[in-house]
Amino acid sequence: MKHESNDKTKWLCDKCQRELELAKVKVRYMEGNFEVDLMKCPTCNQVFIDEALALGKMKEVEEGLEDK
Amino acid sequence: MNLDKLLETGDRCIHKEPPACTAQCPVHLEIIDFLSEIEKGNFQDAYKLMEKRIPFHKIIGRICDHPCEAPCERSKAGGSIRISDLEKAVLEYGAYKPKKVWPVPKNKGRVAIVGGGLSGLTVAVDLDKKGYIVTIFEKNNRLGGQLWNFVGDALTEELLQEELQAIKDKKIAIHLETFVDKNSLTELLSEYDAVYLGTSKWEEPITWNPITFQVGSSTLFVGGGLVNETDSVIFSVSSGRRAAISIERYLSKVSLTDSREREGVFETVLRFDISNKASLPAIEKSGVIYSREEAIDEAKRCVKCQCRKCIEGCAHLRKYEMSPDAYIRQINHNERIILGTHYANKMINSCTECGLCKEECFLDISMKAVIQETRESMTERGEMPVSAHDFALKDMAFSNSSRFSLVRKQPSKEESKDLFYYPLISFSDYVKGLYKGTGKTEYLFYPGCQLPAAYPDDIKSIYEYLVGHVAGDVGIYLGCCGAPADWAGRKDLINENIEAIKKVWEEMERPTFILACSSCIRIFEKYCPEIKVESLWDIYIREGLPNKEHIKTPQTLSIHDACATRENSDLHESVRKIVSKLGYGIEELEYSKEKTKCCGYGGLVYFANREQCDAFVSERIGESENDLLVYCSMCKDLFVSGGKRTYHLLDLIYPKDNIEAATRKTPTLSERHQNRSQVKQILLKEIWREDPMEELMAEDYTLIIHEDIQKSMENRYILMEDILMVLKNAEEKNERFCNPETGDYLAKLRRENVTYWVKYSNEGEAFLIKSVYSHRMEIVEE
Ligand code: SF4
Ligand code: SF4
Ligand code: SF4
Ligand SMILES: [Zn+2]
Repeated sequence: MKHESNDKTKWLCDKCQRELELAKVKVRYMEGNFEVDLMKCPTCNQVFIDEALALGKMKEVEEGLEDK
Repeated sequence: MNLDKLLETGDRCIHKEPPACTAQCPVHLEIIDFLSEIEKGNFQDAYKLMEKRIPFHKIIGRICDHPCEAPCERSKAGGSIRISDLEKAVLEYGAYKPKKVWPVPKNKGRVAIVGGGLSGLTVAVDLDKKGYIVTIFEKNNRLGGQLWNFVGDALTEELLQEELQAIKDKKIAIHLETFVDKNSLTELLSEYDAVYLGTSKWEEPITWNPITFQVGSSTLFVGGGLVNETDSVIFSVSSGRRAAISIERYLSKVSLTDSREREGVFETVLRFDISNKASLPAIEKSGVIYSREEAIDEAKRCVKCQCRKCIEGCAHLRKYEMSPDAYIRQINHNERIILGTHYANKMINSCTECGLCKEECFLDISMKAVIQETRESMTERGEMPVSAHDFALKDMAFSNSSRFSLVRKQPSKEESKDLFYYPLISFSDYVKGLYKGTGKTEYLFYPGCQLPAAYPDDIKSIYEYLVGHVAGDVGIYLGCCGAPADWAGRKDLINENIEAIKKVWEEMERPTFILACSSCIRIFEKYCPEIKVESLWDIYIREGLPNKEHIKTPQTLSIHDACATRENSDLHESVRKIVSKLGYGIEELEYSKEKTKCCGYGGLVYFANREQCDAFVSERIGESENDLLVYCSMCKDLFVSGGKRTYHLLDLIYPKDNIEAATRKTPTLSERHQNRSQVKQILLKEIWREDPMEELMAEDYTLIIHEDIQKSMENRYILMEDILMVLKNAEEKNERFCNPETGDYLAKLRRENVTYWVKYSNEGEAFLIKSVYSHRMEIVEE
């Protein structure tokens, strides 16, 4: 579920005012646990997910797991 | 879930049963396929089907006595399909050089064939093909027997010679002018592994098994004229083929009788109703045989007898092109999968559970019942996709929370006198203060959750009407009956819900429930039949309509009955009476009353498969030019969203001056929540004089939400409340991303099992919402 947002350069973490970095992030759904590369704030760890990712790949994986 | 019982139900479905023509064809030519190929002009493919089923198809196709034609359904509407003439045409236009087949090694045993007529030749060729060493004994000096009697225009001598030559070429041993009598038969029986007796006469009576054609338990098998007692050529080849099967089974030492019920002619259990087809006369031949065009036209007259009753009426079965027998096999498979993908989940969640299929099926096969049981089994085993019904179940929880739910007795006698108008004389004036109550709650008005969501302004009017008209005190009970839980297969939730309803009922000393929603009626009847219910519409008929104002423009309406009312014919009548009383004309839809269709909301299909829901909506609204009249608010909302002018019965009973009721915009999901809360507020304040409950959310934020975002909110099941909570969290904790170039913010918040994201910018004091989306997957931030 690797995803690089097309406008990743522009977004900052508002709280920490830091640029986002690609990092391994743990995600969970149903019984599935996996690691994916996502953009996040290196200080507070907020993970950035844009619309295309949420409604595209993520939804697909969610549906796949639901039908398992 | 009892899968054996499920499969039994599937097996009862006759969708796959052959048409009468095929069942009555002794060799079961697949006539529907055969005619379909002709219809498409594929004569060669039609030819292949003849080759596959009919022994000596080139001969039989020209002289068959076609027992398939008499039972043809078309005979009731213009005349039987001329199958036999079409076979002749196919032999003419579709024949091709046969592929060279390599002889199989002959090592499976030795079979003697007595009689080189049609049936004997069939046995010989069939067994030769399978690897038996075959020897024919024929008393005459040529093969063919009675076939020679058919030589004429249809069957030329040349063709017959050619076909007989083909047999000789197979290197089947042929002894001509060899007469076999009782004694020589005994010799053959000891010499060969099996003997087939295909002579037309025999010197002494023999008895054989009518299924296997075996004589006793011996190695002798019979067929042809001896067995058939007719000179039908098709029965002759059919008996030969069946005897060959027996011989092969016998020599391979497998059961001779297993699954042979459907050999030869049988009665199909298919029932096909041709009554709605226009009569079409048979196409006459302009020559000796049909021309290609004539053949195509004749084939087109075939109605392809197959039971599709339920499929025709149901947008769901048609979308998946599923007959119940196939559907049930898929469910069975889906239920048995342990590892792997449950491909049928989405389909199972796309049935509206409307029950039309059962109504249409003369065997009463109910996919509604099957689907209900399947969904219950899926939720019990934790196999139900959460996302399919999550929103609807949350909506139900909302309705049963303090934000909507409410139970109150009618205000006291003194208060009631001041509050309500009662009819003085039933059809004229109303006066305030003639208290009709008894102090005991005789009735409990239960408007359900969707009606208050869509008609918040009318609930109080209805309540006042009821207080004024029915004998006895009328209390009110706001909540959701639990239909979403029922549809979602959540037995746990529905039972809990029903228990809560029963508790109120007991506490109120068992009043009669007055229901306005068709789904509530269905749920009450299904889960708590001990509670007496009456429909609001029935009461309007009994007590008189509240408004004497007449409609401005009389018009003809088509009534779409709610699918939940299918079995409630009294209710159908009441609705029609109300519509007539109000001065409207009625034009019934083809599918109405007990045969009504679902609007598409039923079974929560709206949430589980929007495309499927849309298919139901567009099909239904296309069925009449008239404006529709419905009495379920979900039907109304879906039809209006689909672009159809639709009235709800309440639009007519409580007309409003300022809005065009038939096109009134559907409330959004958020508005539905607000409307419900508002109904509770209004009732509490204006009838029970209680302080309104505190607002859940101080509306500190002013939002600007354009129409496209509104649409996304609807399609993605995101409520205003979700957006506000995301903003609140972002603004208070600064937990958000910012985009210095555009000045946009992006914030998120997880609420229960969903993470909501909002992109927005500040417009002065207000927030301009730029996009909203969500996901269920949980991100572990550490
Ligand atoms: S109408 Fe067609 S399918 Fe039906 S019985 Fe006749 S030939 Fe067969
Ligand atoms: S949608 Fe209705 S008619 Fe279609 S299969 Fe389901 S219950 Fe039967
Ligand atoms: S109506 Fe439907 S369920 Fe009933 S036999 Fe026909 S195809 Fe099968
Ligand atoms: Zn940060």
